[in-house]
Amino acid sequence: MTLAVLLPLAHALVSRKDLPIPAWLFAWGASIVLIVSFFALSVAWRSPRFERDRWRPSGAALSRALLGYPAQVLCGAIGVFLLGLAVYAGLRGTGAPDRNFALTFLFVTCWLGFPLFSVVLGDVFRPFNPWRAIGRIVGGSFALIAGQRFAHLPYPRWLGRWPAAIGLLAFVWLEVVYGVSGGVTVGVSPNTAATALLVYSAYTLAMMAVFGVEEWCDGGEVFSVYFGMLSQLGVFAVEDGRLGRRMPLAASTHWATVPGSLAVVLASIASTSFDGAQEGAFKGAISSTFDWFSEAGLSLTASLRLTDTIFMLLCFGGVALVYLIGVRGMATVSGGPPLLKLRTGFAHTLIPIAFAYLVAHYFSLFVFQEQAQFTYLLSDPLGTATTNLFGTAEAGVDYKVLSANAIWYVQVAALVIGHVIGLTLAHDRATAYWGDYRQAARSQYWMLAVMVSFTCFGLYLLSAGNA
Amino acid sequence: MDSKYTRVAIGVVVLVVAVVLLVVLSGGGDSEKTTKGVTTITIKDGKPVGGVAQLTYNEGEQVRFKVDSDVSDEVHMHGYDIMKDVEAGGSVSFDFPATIEGVFEAELEDRKEQILELTVNP
Repeated sequence: MTLAVLLPLAHALVSRKDLPIPAWLFAWGASIVLIVSFFALSVAWRSPRFERDRWRPSGAALSRALLGYPAQVLCGAIGVFLLGLAVYAGLRGTGAPDRNFALTFLFVTCWLGFPLFSVVLGDVFRPFNPWRAIGRIVGGSFALIAGQRFAHLPYPRWLGRWPAAIGLLAFVWLEVVYGVSGGVTVGVSPNTAATALLVYSAYTLAMMAVFGVEEWCDGGEVFSVYFGMLSQLGVFAVEDGRLGRRMPLAASTHWATVPGSLAVVLASIASTSFDGAQEGAFKGAISSTFDWFSEAGLSLTASLRLTDTIFMLLCFGGVALVYLIGVRGMATVSGGPPLLKLRTGFAHTLIPIAFAYLVAHYFSLFVFQEQAQFTYLLSDPLGTATTNLFGTAEAGVDYKVLSANAIWYVQVAALVIGHVIGLTLAHDRATAYWGDYRQAARSQYWMLAVMVSFTCFGLYLLSAGNA
Repeated sequence: MDSKYTRVAIGVVVLVVAVVLLVVLSGGGDSEKTTKGVTTITIKDGKPVGGVAQLTYNEGEQVRFKVDSDVSDEVHMHGYDIMKDVEAGGSVSFDFPATIEGVFEAELEDRKEQILELTVNP
């Protein structure tokens, strides 16, 4: 039958694809993971070290400079301006994905850049969040004019981070599943991305009006929740309006107590997995499902979207299943907390894995496409070839900056380090939950199996086996 | 259950699995075949005959292929960013050193039809 041609966004933007990790490196990676995991079991501490979040404030002058009103206004204005530019470029600019500012800015610079900056520098998205900035201005103006604060509905506790989890899947769906058709799917167009941004802006501002700006950012706003999750791994944080430092990883131990948090981190792992697997491991299955739908009378585009949606949800289900089996296993070790507490109690241990997946899959895309972002996409955001704001419109992407070996080592190192940090957090949590050290170690055989599955699956997705 | 012995046993099993993985996977002969000579890609009705051509080179080798086309279009070798026009019924030759590692596509630019997948190994 007709060949299913899907062009994931990464391909529409960057013309160099990563070579699969060679077999010998895959073997080394997997072996290191197994050996490290074994040592994690034998040489481990017996009482929790990360549970207490020891936060220490930095200098007051620095806090004032970075967090004061002028900085807030400036950052907010930059955020709103860039959102506006992306929407404008998407609607008015060229339809060529690689020449339009909108797609690269949204899916590469922000979607891949903020995770990196969040881990290294703390929750940097918060001050730049354009919807939060608009929401605060509108709320503040209302209070000024009406003489009282706008009455919001209380945000239901059970709703927690569920809206963000669903939004996260929807965003990735737009990126890797939804495409504009001309017989074959060619990925999301700048116009579609801009329209989606407008729809999302309207939805977000409406929800902020209903529940309050900060309340919605904490639970419902996809980008705040997702980048905020990754910032929990890092050292820098703002508390009570002051900048400070804390022990790395410590903040993440409290993160998952809000309902829906587990779904957010699972969605992150699942969406990266799907993006990797659709080109290899799932290719055959996707192709036959697609044929089945198109023979049943659906149009090519509908068949492709439906097929990919199904496989993306399957990916989410599979990732969730592996974790839940691990938790169920842990529950059989006596002396620990009930199943429900275990399920949320270990969710944060997957955050480093999610970040490792992200780095491993998109590191080269980020390095290549950011060259475009800061040269021709900056000088000619609409891609009209008539503007040259900074004189860099003629520049191209230098694909030689990364050798294949460099990419492979970053990929394997990211997965192995993510694995070790995940194990560290899981072990630490187990010593907190099981008073008896031996029982704690026994419970961790299960989490170990979960982590090894995720890491080796991650390695596999990058290897020749998945090519 | 004595957990010390259990752990030693698990450790041994893990090590054995790791060693086996290493031996099996790295022993599996990595000598990838590279393409020799000039490959001809024939375009019929705007599509490559026999599907997308696969060319594999090691870095530093010379990439050589020829496109015989029955349609007029522009052949775009992505990544290396080489563009050459081809007339209907004409042919166009490519000959350039494989300097960038990775996987790249060549396509008929106007038709957005991929005709070649070029792999350059380090």
